[in-house]
Amino acid sequence: MDTKTLIAEAKARFNHNSAKDYLKEKYETKLIIADQGGLWKADPKTISFLNSMTDNFIVVVDTFNNPVQVNRDKLLDVLRETYNKVMLEWYKEWTELEGKR
Amino acid sequence: MTRGAILFAFNSPKYNYYKMAEYTAKRINHFLNLPVTLITDKDSLPTDSNYKFDNVVLVEPDKNNIRDWGIWINKGRYQAYELSPYDETLLLDTDYMVNSDKLLKTFDVSVDFCCHDTTTFLMHPNAPQEVLSAYSYKTLWATVVAFKKTKRTKQIFECLEMVQKNYDHYANIHSFIAGVYRNDYALTLALRIANGHTVLPGDIIPWNLLHVGKNTSVYKNSDDEFNTEYTVMFDNWQKGKIRKEYVTIKDMDFHVMNKDNFMELIA
Repeated sequence: MDTKTLIAEAKARFNHNSAKDYLKEKYETKLIIADQGGLWKADPKTISFLNSMTDNFIVVVDTFNNPVQVNRDKLLDVLRETYNKVMLEWYKEWTELEGKR
Repeated sequence: MTRGAILFAFNSPKYNYYKMAEYTAKRINHFLNLPVTLITDKDSLPTDSNYKFDNVVLVEPDKNNIRDWGIWINKGRYQAYELSPYDETLLLDTDYMVNSDKLLKTFDVSVDFCCHDTTTFLMHPNAPQEVLSAYSYKTLWATVVAFKKTKRTKQIFECLEMVQKNYDHYANIHSFIAGVYRNDYALTLALRIANGHTVLPGDIIPWNLLHVGKNTSVYKNSDDEFNTEYTVMFDNWQKGKIRKEYVTIKDMDFHVMNKDNFMELIA
């Protein structure tokens, strides 16, 4: 039996809350990247911080709470690129799931 | 620098772990592009397999572990360090469904060892984290372990052996049931001992281990060999009535706790 028939016969309802949680879990992982000897999350907070600094070489605390000296521009580029790519994928998949009943 | 995965698979009277390992190995080859070494025993080797593992290492298993459904041959995981032919090793449970290249990140995030300390249950977002006992540690998970061959990881696996061999003693100290040996519990204790009774943040994989719990069923959305889309169905009890609920997931790795369900998925 294919899954569409299975869902129809079981009169199963799509659980949007679980879908939302699952997507968050999936895409937050993709925001984590290793670069310049540290582990980073390409989140708005880190990107904003890097953007607000002016020096090229700065020390930033990574997700393991280790201070890491980084090339700010390079890290910012990597995090921005990751953020944009992952968030677009997240948005696309969420839009697909949002229509399910 | 060599990199690969290893799987332990010993058939029990109820489950064909070799078949599970073969299925998982194909997915590791496909999604992670890693060779796979199998640790097994001669009784589990089939006569008619077309799949060729990178290496097959035969060992004498310890069959002294009984669960409610029968013999569970899960001891000896500490041998992973000695038996792995790779400099960098990904050690997985055979019932881990690889659907993406996410696990390759484990080699980047850790210095020499990492495992999960937090889980998420699909369809049970608020499920509590497992602890060894009410007054003991939060459980670390042996489902996915990435390690490099260093002096420290050798110590971790030696500690794992020591905990396995003295499991009753540690169960007594930490107030958990010693009857069934759990690699997760042994790893929790071994890693802490090796780290001076603490857990280092760098030893933890920075995302959650996704479990499909025992009351949740997973169905493949297609019969493609490397299908990555699944429907997950769950019986939600509300006001004395069961309401069937589902989600669809794709490109996401998960650990299937229900072995019967895993066998259905690989059939």
